Amino acid sequence: MSHRIMIIDDEKIVGDMAKISLEEEGYEVETFLNAGPALKKLEEQPFDVVVTDLKMKNIDGLEVLRTVKKLYPNTKVIMITAFANLDVAIEAIKEDVFDFFPKPVRIKELKESIRKALIPDDKP
Amino acid sequence: MAILKKMRSLLGRYGSQLQVRHVNIQSVFQGYKKILDDNDRALKIINDMSEKMSGGYLFDIAYMREAYSELATAMRVSLADFNRLTDGQYPQLEPVFNSIDLHIRELLNPQAKRAQRRLISFDDILPEAAKAVGGKNYHLSQVKNAVGLAVPDGFVLTVHAYDDFIRHNHLDQDLAELEEHEYEPGMLAELRARVMAGGFPDSLKREVEEALGRLRQECEGACSLAVRSSGEEEDEVFSFAGQFETVLNVSPDVDAVLDAYRRVVASLFSEDAIAYQLNLNYSPAAMRMAVGVIAMVDAVASGVAYTVNPMGKDRQSMLINSAWGLGTSVVDNLTEADTFRVKKTPPFQPEEIRLGKKDTMAVMAAAGGLEEREVSADRQRAPSLNEEQLAELSRQAMKIENFYHEPQDIEWALDRNGRVVILQSRLLRIQEPAGGETTKTVDAQPAGEHPVLMHDQGIVVYPGVVGGRAFMVDETSTLDDFPWGAILVARNDSPQFVRVMPYAAAIITDSGNATSHMASVSREFRVPTVVNAGNATDLIKSGEEITLKAGEDGGMVVYRGVATGIIGGHHDSFIKLEELFEFRRKKYIMKFIAPLNLVNPFTDDFLPERCRTVHDILRFMHEKSMQKLIDSSRYADRRASLKQLDISLMEDIHVIDIGDGLKPDTEKKVSMEQVNSAPLRAVLEGMTHPGAWRQSVGNVSLSDLMTASMRTGDIQDSVHINLAVISRRYLNLAVRFGYHFTIVDAFVDTKSVNNHVYFRFLGGAAAVSKRVRRVHMLETILRHFGFVTEIKGDLITGVVTNVNEAEALRVLDQVGRLMAYTRQLDAPLISDAVADEYARRFIHGDYTV
Repeated sequence: MSHRIMIIDDEKIVGDMAKISLEEEGYEVETFLNAGPALKKLEEQPFDVVVTDLKMKNIDGLEVLRTVKKLYPNTKVIMITAFANLDVAIEAIKEDVFDFFPKPVRIKELKESIRKALIPDDKP
Repeated sequence: MAILKKMRSLLGRYGSQLQVRHVNIQSVFQGYKKILDDNDRALKIINDMSEKMSGGYLFDIAYMREAYSELATAMRVSLADFNRLTDGQYPQLEPVFNSIDLHIRELLNPQAKRAQRRLISFDDILPEAAKAVGGKNYHLSQVKNAVGLAVPDGFVLTVHAYDDFIRHNHLDQDLAELEEHEYEPGMLAELRARVMAGGFPDSLKREVEEALGRLRQECEGACSLAVRSSGEEEDEVFSFAGQFETVLNVSPDVDAVLDAYRRVVASLFSEDAIAYQLNLNYSPAAMRMAVGVIAMVDAVASGVAYTVNPMGKDRQSMLINSAWGLGTSVVDNLTEADTFRVKKTPPFQPEEIRLGKKDTMAVMAAAGGLEEREVSADRQRAPSLNEEQLAELSRQAMKIENFYHEPQDIEWALDRNGRVVILQSRLLRIQEPAGGETTKTVDAQPAGEHPVLMHDQGIVVYPGVVGGRAFMVDETSTLDDFPWGAILVARNDSPQFVRVMPYAAAIITDSGNATSHMASVSREFRVPTVVNAGNATDLIKSGEEITLKAGEDGGMVVYRGVATGIIGGHHDSFIKLEELFEFRRKKYIMKFIAPLNLVNPFTDDFLPERCRTVHDILRFMHEKSMQKLIDSSRYADRRASLKQLDISLMEDIHVIDIGDGLKPDTEKKVSMEQVNSAPLRAVLEGMTHPGAWRQSVGNVSLSDLMTASMRTGDIQDSVHINLAVISRRYLNLAVRFGYHFTIVDAFVDTKSVNNHVYFRFLGGAAAVSKRVRRVHMLETILRHFGFVTEIKGDLITGVVTNVNEAEALRVLDQVGRLMAYTRQLDAPLISDAVADEYARRFIHGDYTV
């Protein structure tokens, strides 16, 4: 059973490229352009890792992070953003974000981060 | 020395003029270095963008806008500095950049587009309109305008007309909502209805009316039109074959054409077309539709030509399908067609002819549209193309392939006068087969316990070995029930099958041909497919498990059960990153930024007007700045501190130091050790290389000298003293050895892109034949060391650019040796063979003469 990864980014190219690259690694990937439908999907079924953009209209990445953690404390959230700033990073770390990348994100690094995120917490 | 005196007096006129023209070389050099820095900054941004958008990074439009905005700023600075340096000598350059800049900004901010042409005649389609007219129309215009073949007359309603239509009918909001509602069928139906009821801006309607008037004149009243889709992306990476509507036999009046236009636009929102796009990761709501309006060919016969036989192992033959009447018979698979396999080279001999039973044909109906008509019995089995027509069609098909350098899938028609007319040409996809055991040769032995159900029936459209449950598509079942991973079995092929292609393991149909729309789409989705298999629907039961083995050599076997032993691993993802629509769309702007088209400064088209990319403009500025520097150095104001090189070879090389070129405490006489300038050191080291320099210069005859003195070319250097203008990283050296005038100009930095070595040699003192031999010998040698060269008479110029520091210095060392070596060579160059030999020796470090 392959791991399930969710990508939320309001720019289609980010989700499309992430999907192709992560499927190569054997992950099952679903992409969303809006956080609303993504969170709805999450209520129905869990994902192992959620990669989300920070700045999105309506619901932003921090809210996604909080909702995911409330629903599934073990699901790891990786944040990507074009507007990297320290305040938000600190806020995100407080909320237990797994990793934080400024865009453009090197796909190799994202894959590596996901690989680490999938290692169960009790096995360091 | 009377001759020298005479020479001086001849040239005195120039000499006295030149005395007045003193250049402040320091300031030119500073300006030059500034441009190198500016350009370096711009190139770094270009490299960063190329890397970030290469596929290794997740990037978004915000990054692209930011990066480009930085690049544009760097370019503005560079252009201003360049204008200052060259005293505004190239006023055309800035407008050229402005136009490239505007184009890129439009791509980055599509909503901010200025008014664009809504209607363009096929004759007027230029490359920059490629996106606006859509892929299919653009290719047809190229076949006409660039390849020079006959295509029907017509015009295009561009994507800008589409934008106007959408806005005029307030459909923008509906489009925006489509994606959020995941293209829900009810919404699509509603949208199609609104398109069909849509109105047109009056101005657009008038434009169409005028264009139709011109078209009616062309076809002298008796014309009928085809109105067909040409989506922005159609026939680009993916064909969209058969996905959008084409309305045929439309009367040439504005209402009929606009109605057909609505039907074509509405087809953008058909469920099949949306499914196709979603399966290929497109954003269907963002796809804009251009529409071609073209005169129909009243065809005697028509069909499809593949310039490479996609089923054959050898790539030496092409495949032509042909039937009576209009082309829909073949692409929509209405009837059996004739199949010709033809050699790809003249005289285009047919290698195989299979005549189909062409019992029906499509013709234009009197009331508009098409009708199917029965073919008279005597013509059903008769070839629809004769040998001459076949050869002519093949010749034209190859012309198109040669133009695109890629195999083509061409729709053609033969008109009433027997003339071949090209209706469409697009890339033909030929791919490696899907995974599995190698599908080289298919035998009909059972696979383990799996008996053979059928073998060697039909045409392999796309090879592969796959197993799964058969699913029969007929009157009793629909595609909506098609299970994931099943093998689709049907009587006829249909482009509608695209809806299930991403999950279909394979497709087998009783009828069909290799050039149908469905066949194109099967290849795009890499679904193993066999068509024209005869009685597959009788032999295979719906629901039973089977294995299809479709060979590259055209053989096929169907086994009962899933023969796991011969089936390969998982089916590769059918989309590759480079095919991803959003990725290509974003990357498209790099076409106007990164490629370098302006390569050789010696060609006639090294002009501002020929710059097509930002990189071209940088290249142009670098080259012309370098020329400015070289010219300026020659006229350097030597009233400034002039020093003299104190080396054994030559007494009179004077030096002007414009920055760190000499050690600080240098007196009037400069020793080799006091030279700081890396390029000058390299040249001097080359000149003094053991063996390269001989004290005894070959004999020069009186007649050689006479010839030299009478020449008027670019000889003004001779009135100058030997002079080196230097800095730590720069050298401009103008010297005269005997009757040879040489200029070396070099900039050597730690950044390769800044570096150049320029070499110019004008030789005198020899008969014409010797001088010609000499420049050709020099050319051979210079090219060996990486120079791009140009010869004008006995003047040779060469440039090396974009080399690293070590290589630039190595080249300069060789240039020094060459200068010394050529000193001795005039007299001995008695034949071409001798000249070649000396070139060879020099390259091998042998300087004996």
